[in-house]
Amino acid sequence: MNIKNSNSKTMTINYLNFMKTTKFFIRAIFCLTLITSFSSCSSDDNNPKEVLEEELITNVTLTFTNDADAKDIVILASVAPDGQDGSSTETITGSFTANATYSLGLALTNASENPADDVLNDDIIKEADEHFFTYAVSDINLTMTRDSNDLDGAEDSKLGVNTTWVASAASTGNIKIILTHKPTATDDANEWGSATGGTEDLNITFTGVTIQ
Amino acid sequence: MKYYTLIIACILYNLSYGQKCTSKFSGKIEDFHDGSTIVDATLYIKKLDTYTTSDSEGNFVFENLCDGKITVRISHVGCETKQIDFVIKGDSYAKLNLEHHIEELSEITMNGDIIAKKTKTSQETLLKSKDLERFSTASLGDALKQVSGVSSINTGNTIVKPMINGLHSSRILIINNNVRLQNQEWGIEHAPSIDINSANQISIIKGSGALAYGGDAIGGVVIISPLNPILKDTLYGKTILSSQTNGRGYNVSSTLNKNYKSGWFGQLQASSKKNGDLKAPNYILTNTGEESKGLAAHFGKKNFESGFEFYYSYLNNEIGILGASHIGSAFDLGRAINSGQPLLTKDFSYTINAPKQDIKHHLAKANYFKRFQNFGKVSMQYDYQHNRRFEFDVRIGDRRNIPAVDLTLQTHTFLADANLDANLDRKVNFGFMGRYQNNFANPDTGVRRLIPDYDKYDFGIYTTTEWVLNDNLIFDAGIRYDFNRMDAKKFYRKSRWEERGYNINFADIIIDESPTQLLTNPIFDYHNISASAGVKYNFNSQSYIIGNYALTSRPPNASELFSDGLHHSAARFELGDIRYNKEVGNRFSASYAYNTSKFSVLTEVFYNNIKDYIYLRPFNFIVTTRGPFPLWEYQQTNAKLFGIDITATYNITNTLQWKNKTAFIKGDDLKTSEPLIDMPSFNTMNKITYNNKAWHNFSASLQSEWVFEQNEYPNFNFEITDQLNGEKKLIDISTPPPAYHLLHFYSEATFNLNKKTRLNVALGVNNLLDTSYRNYLNRMRLFADDLGRNITLQVQLNY
Repeated sequence: MNIKNSNSKTMTINYLNFMKTTKFFIRAIFCLTLITSFSSCSSDDNNPKEVLEEELITNVTLTFTNDADAKDIVILASVAPDGQDGSSTETITGSFTANATYSLGLALTNASENPADDVLNDDIIKEADEHFFTYAVSDINLTMTRDSNDLDGAEDSKLGVNTTWVASAASTGNIKIILTHKPTATDDANEWGSATGGTEDLNITFTGVTIQ
Repeated sequence: MKYYTLIIACILYNLSYGQKCTSKFSGKIEDFHDGSTIVDATLYIKKLDTYTTSDSEGNFVFENLCDGKITVRISHVGCETKQIDFVIKGDSYAKLNLEHHIEELSEITMNGDIIAKKTKTSQETLLKSKDLERFSTASLGDALKQVSGVSSINTGNTIVKPMINGLHSSRILIINNNVRLQNQEWGIEHAPSIDINSANQISIIKGSGALAYGGDAIGGVVIISPLNPILKDTLYGKTILSSQTNGRGYNVSSTLNKNYKSGWFGQLQASSKKNGDLKAPNYILTNTGEESKGLAAHFGKKNFESGFEFYYSYLNNEIGILGASHIGSAFDLGRAINSGQPLLTKDFSYTINAPKQDIKHHLAKANYFKRFQNFGKVSMQYDYQHNRRFEFDVRIGDRRNIPAVDLTLQTHTFLADANLDANLDRKVNFGFMGRYQNNFANPDTGVRRLIPDYDKYDFGIYTTTEWVLNDNLIFDAGIRYDFNRMDAKKFYRKSRWEERGYNINFADIIIDESPTQLLTNPIFDYHNISASAGVKYNFNSQSYIIGNYALTSRPPNASELFSDGLHHSAARFELGDIRYNKEVGNRFSASYAYNTSKFSVLTEVFYNNIKDYIYLRPFNFIVTTRGPFPLWEYQQTNAKLFGIDITATYNITNTLQWKNKTAFIKGDDLKTSEPLIDMPSFNTMNKITYNNKAWHNFSASLQSEWVFEQNEYPNFNFEITDQLNGEKKLIDISTPPPAYHLLHFYSEATFNLNKKTRLNVALGVNNLLDTSYRNYLNRMRLFADDLGRNITLQVQLNY
């Protein structure tokens, strides 16, 4: 009889120990839950914030101005409301005059922000050593040169932001502009320029440009 | 204090009565968990130095005892030794319990290994610490490839996702110390956040044979277990130092264990790994460095009858992604594929630049179990996981240090489980699971969210049973129900919303509108039933056959539903679809095993029919101002997979062993009658090992790995047009690389420095002949060759 008694005392002690462990355990769980639920609640109550893509280039505009006649302007414009991830619309305003020389003015903006973000001056020119513009034409009698005051671009080539274009005989064709980020090699010996490696941030072709 | 008072009181009581030495102490010893009698147990009274043993009925008797306090130690072969105090006053009787099935109930073992497999009728393979240690510098995915039929889908050589019988990502459950890993496992370039150095043992189950862990394991289950405590007073540990020539990498990993006879235990493990740019045979793979730090702490008290534990682990991985894989347009992609070698290679460096990933994973768990006599074991567990994922892209300006992807995934899980094993031949297991998960996509990235913010609720109940019908026949079955609710808040561009046609059926989920975007609140509920049944029959002691059927059900994950946008680190536009419903898999499998001391072979076959199988495929391109851009869309179809895996070993002599592992799989899209994308090709591995136990357990092996060309692939190539001159270019994104054959060498020896300290030295050479090759299942195969020769040296000290 006595054995059972003392046994149950030992049992009680074990039980107390067990209760202690359990209490500790429950408290630990409770604390853990509290800590973690605090950190997870913060983002929960409100609707998420809208993200307007920051790296967008929505509007690319090439403005060619006749050096001899400031009123003779050709504008090639590409508008992509969703930036580089969505579809775009290309428009051509005006036509080149045969045997005239033009200066090209570039504008790259993000119009999804208000006011529009000047991507060319704020990002690309600031980091000219990582960027390079290449141009190409087909079926249209245009030549181009990178101006002496053109900025230095990636891999010791001229960036291609200040350029002069010469229109010769009347013709109709296409003009392409490419912006390469971090090319591994560039070459501007041929004025149009060529780049290897890197990523193309822009690759736009304007079709049906004319010289009259 | 009470305890001492009690003892003192007893002593005083005894003293006052004086010594009377004619008392008899008798009793009976029974097994704790099933009440059976225990024969031949030794009972020992220390004070009197008297022994007795229990008879065939489990009865024992001590005679001529003096009244007073005695301490009895009860021991039995295969049982946990017990020490109990009694106070004798006159003739006494007591029923005592020992546990004779500790190993079968897989609670505590003498060497710390959990020997038992998790399932009886599944295609399960166990990898022990010895099999894992040599992968100390590698990743979980690499270690699992030892198993026939297990491959990996890679992004480079450091992001390795396990693939079981052709299935990966959300179709594979990864269980780390009884916690289901929640680490944004949906994407191919999201490697499991597991430090291979923290694993002591890994169980790989093909298909869904372990319903207690989840019902959505259409591919399989990977169960990672840490070292189990030993019931004795001891302090031991191990340290692994390894280095490798390729990437000039090193790894340090150390584990320290403290155990007490009382059941208390503590374990601390830490590891640190670093490597620089890896190298293909002909060029450096620029920006493929990796840095990893891991920590795990584990403590608690574990006895046969009850126990609790706390576990915490932390892992930080910073992984560089091959620089040459960063592309801007489909023209870039075409040039990269056609050039045959990466367009960006620099001198070796440890620096990790963008594109890169930085992932931090915390896991904390608390667990308690108690065993009840003649009933079984009841356990409860709470766990919390915090996963923070950064993906850095090549960006310009001030944004270059801001990640393009910044996701925080938090998961709380509560588990309760009862395992009724009073009758070892008719085990029943049931339990429930409740889980809450929150994903937060940080808007400060300045990039539209690829994965939206969401809350996810899961609730599951299950029951499984295991019947040992006779010595040769085991039957098991299980059923599980899961409820999942996905409650997301997602922005859609208006153009996308209409392009997808969501405006027709989902107008009611719009909760807000801005000039260009819609904020929606999709809430989806899924009800999933999963079940399994299997049988194992032993023909004789040398051979057995297994047959198993499993029904699995997996709701679509956040990526499959909501992906929408430019996946920077993958340089592609990815699109999910909210109309997708759950995947349902029907998997039939059979295995035949034959084992003798000389020869053993295991043949596993399976047929997996998956209704509404969801996969990601290159779809075409979208025309953008950066030119045509690769577009990948999730697709839903019906699929069937069939495969056979063979593992064979033959002991040519006592010291020479040959091993073969071969896997064949075929996957078809039943709607288009085309093969499935990303299926492993036929591969066979042969290994010759020389082992001389007398000479410091020296072993050397030469392994041949032969991977065939995948001839069955869907052709998702597309053409792009250069608008300038109308030239068409084919983007060959589908053609698999040619077959390749690699040789690997590995040797090791173990030196006993003293009674308790062992030193193991291992030297390995991977890709011995520096062969150039590309693997179909490596996403980087489009851009660069795989790894060249890699010499590894590893020193392991066990103490």
